[in-house]
Amino acid sequence: MISFPKHLYTDVRIEEIVDTRIRFKRKKLREQKTRRNKGAFIRVFDGERWYYGAVTDLGKLQSHVDELAAMATPVEGIEEHPVVKALEANERKEIRFEKDSVTKIPLEKKRGLLEEVLAFADDEAIVNTDAFYVDNRTVKKFFSSKGADLTFDKETTGIGITLDIAHGEKKDRMSTSKAKSRFKDLKDAKGYFAEEIEKDVDFVKRAMPVEGGEHPVLFSPLATGVFTHESFGHKSEADFMIGDETMKREWSIGKEIGPEILSIVDDGGVEGSGLTPFDEEGTAAKKTHLIKEGRLAGRLHSALTSASLQEEPTGNARAVDFTFEPIVRMTTTYIEKGETPLQEIIQSMDKGYLVDTIKHGSGMSTFTIAPARAYRIENGEIKEPVKISVVTGSVFETLAHVEKLSSEFELLSFVGGGCGKMEQFPLPVGFGGPYTLVSKLKVQ
Amino acid sequence: MKKETVLIQDTETAVKVQNSRIAAVRKKDIAKKAVRVYDKDLIGIGGAMGDIGWNTLEKSAVEDLESGIPYPHGIEGGLRDHRDYRRKSFTDEGLQMAMEKILGTLNEKFPALRFSEGLKQKETLHRMENTDGLDLEYRDAHTELFLLVKEKEGANLFDNMIVYYGRDFDVDGFLDHADRFLTAHLEKASLPEGKKVPVFFLMNDSLLGFLNRALNGEAYATGSSLLSGKLDAKIFNERITIEQNRDSERAFTSFFDTEGVVKPSDKVELVKDGKLVNVFTDKQTATEYNLPHTGAAGGGHDDVPSLSGAPLRFVPDAKNIANSLKGEPAILVSVTSGGEFTADGNYGAPVQCAYLFDGKRLLGRLPEFSIKSSLFDMLGKDYIGTFETDILPYTDKPLLQGFRMEIIR
Repeated sequence: MISFPKHLYTDVRIEEIVDTRIRFKRKKLREQKTRRNKGAFIRVFDGERWYYGAVTDLGKLQSHVDELAAMATPVEGIEEHPVVKALEANERKEIRFEKDSVTKIPLEKKRGLLEEVLAFADDEAIVNTDAFYVDNRTVKKFFSSKGADLTFDKETTGIGITLDIAHGEKKDRMSTSKAKSRFKDLKDAKGYFAEEIEKDVDFVKRAMPVEGGEHPVLFSPLATGVFTHESFGHKSEADFMIGDETMKREWSIGKEIGPEILSIVDDGGVEGSGLTPFDEEGTAAKKTHLIKEGRLAGRLHSALTSASLQEEPTGNARAVDFTFEPIVRMTTTYIEKGETPLQEIIQSMDKGYLVDTIKHGSGMSTFTIAPARAYRIENGEIKEPVKISVVTGSVFETLAHVEKLSSEFELLSFVGGGCGKMEQFPLPVGFGGPYTLVSKLKVQ
Repeated sequence: MKKETVLIQDTETAVKVQNSRIAAVRKKDIAKKAVRVYDKDLIGIGGAMGDIGWNTLEKSAVEDLESGIPYPHGIEGGLRDHRDYRRKSFTDEGLQMAMEKILGTLNEKFPALRFSEGLKQKETLHRMENTDGLDLEYRDAHTELFLLVKEKEGANLFDNMIVYYGRDFDVDGFLDHADRFLTAHLEKASLPEGKKVPVFFLMNDSLLGFLNRALNGEAYATGSSLLSGKLDAKIFNERITIEQNRDSERAFTSFFDTEGVVKPSDKVELVKDGKLVNVFTDKQTATEYNLPHTGAAGGGHDDVPSLSGAPLRFVPDAKNIANSLKGEPAILVSVTSGGEFTADGNYGAPVQCAYLFDGKRLLGRLPEFSIKSSLFDMLGKDYIGTFETDILPYTDKPLLQGFRMEIIR
């Protein structure tokens, strides 16, 4: 039981993590381990500055709290500070994964699943494989001087496989992964790997250099997710707006920035790598419309940004792990599904490109997507695979060029990797959406 | 049974900045420990974060032997090498005062700009010991300043970044650099004429990442590297020498790899005078593919050592950028994010922030554009040079590289 210092706001977040990693390299077992780690992040606020500490010796939590409090300047009435007032004080225990937890699945079953997936990588053009199974169970406890008392859990499980493919002079490295919240769902997704590996090998064997220029681009749900995240998601993180009148004007609620078919959501309640039942400040998950029918509808907040912009907290204060403070981050961010069947969208394209899978993306004034697998589209048909270095567009203009959204829709999770924001990388997030046709993007 | 222990202790104080003022102070003290045991050509590892007893970790490691992970390579031994690279350090109060001074000066001189992120000081201890007499210790401390720069009248998330990373952080010296850097940022300039223009980078991350895949011994040997089959062949411009470089003074990383290997002078030449002479390997890769062992094992504190990447460094081959340019206007890139190489070495990238550059001075900020080239052109006929310079306040002795590249306006 922590004794909270007087006239200061204090919160403590304790994380207990159990994770498993199994790795095969060139189809030989190279690693198999289950780890248990525990740590805490402490925050003390005096109205002017925050004082943070990341610790692993939980037996001395009180002395760490006291040490940070000694750096702060106590102020009577701290509970009336707008930031403190914006913090929720939830008291709840929400354990949803314990019954069929990944920690209860025997190691042999996990290893067996990975070996089954690896067996699909049998094409002679595959000269090297690096495959891993990972899972993670994290239990978080959060309590604050405002009276918050939370315990909740999160689990993810996934498989990733990297292939080095060489077919004569044609060579490349391709990666495929799948993550779920429950082991049984991952088992059911085994067939996905067989398909993806076949497509990867075919891509390397047949891909041609791309003809650069401005073209229509059709993004798969995976690519749509990254496109949404990079072209718009980061702009909706309200910490970029604090004290910035220009940004507030530029991104004012109600402003039209896309067609009516376009709605973008961030939802911390969706299971997967973006699941955030409570954020790192104890705020409950919310579904936030960022864009609704083409117009700016909301932003993502921490307590600080919500107080600064006088909007409601949204449950988006997240940290990569217990060694970092929470900052405004996405959870699961996606474009809501459309109404046009994919086949119709492809048939409507005279020319353009399909971006199927990606290596990475980034978002500044220009957003970028580096495709892994891409295909040329001509006269309503998907043609040969093409090698594209990067697809770029202006974050200010591109959403206005969204032309069609498919009725097919998928949400995905990362296996390893995640979102990077300054020093905090990788944060697990969820992403996805429909197939999305953008009428004009720069392809190199 | 042989035993090995790994300890990585990181302590850090960070001063966080938001909206051009100090918003927070953060302290960390995190220990990562692992015990490895080796028995009958198998390895077992027990690891954890925090104050867990060595005996507990050894017990986990012995249990882990049952996983049957092979490790038939033997362990390093009979070497004691302790190195301490720590130099200047700030107290916690000193760090806050340094940040206050920096913000005070920048806010006053550049009222049109807003700053965020902050200043941190990090101290690292990395120790590795084993029952064969290996006793390695690396101690270091560095200061890292990272400021996002945003124009108050602009709608971008940010417009530029100032970075310092080194051991001898001097506030006044940094402010001199920042003054030149930000003054040039506020001056508008036009892109140089011509389709191909000299473009300079502070060690392009995409290039180093691509070279890391191409020079990987396993990728080379299995035929999946762009350089497969080219050992002893001339592949790049004859002025280019690339090292696997674990010289902690330059690389800011421990001088030993995760298998405890220390190389003479901490370097191995991979490309020498344009010729491919080595690819980087760990013990497994060297044995399996009959390649020279370069000591490039990687992985986390409780991972089985394996080959992933290596710290690569270009050897400076030229001294005077202005002389190399002979009056031709050039571009110095400050921010390029999201670019990539294709498998056959073609490169494309947007450039979000860059300066017009005459080899000595930053002359003004350029509009956004894209660049295009290929690996063998950049490191071949279009290669200008690798220079040690202090033009940007990046680190104590940063390297600047120049290539002629196609500009897409």
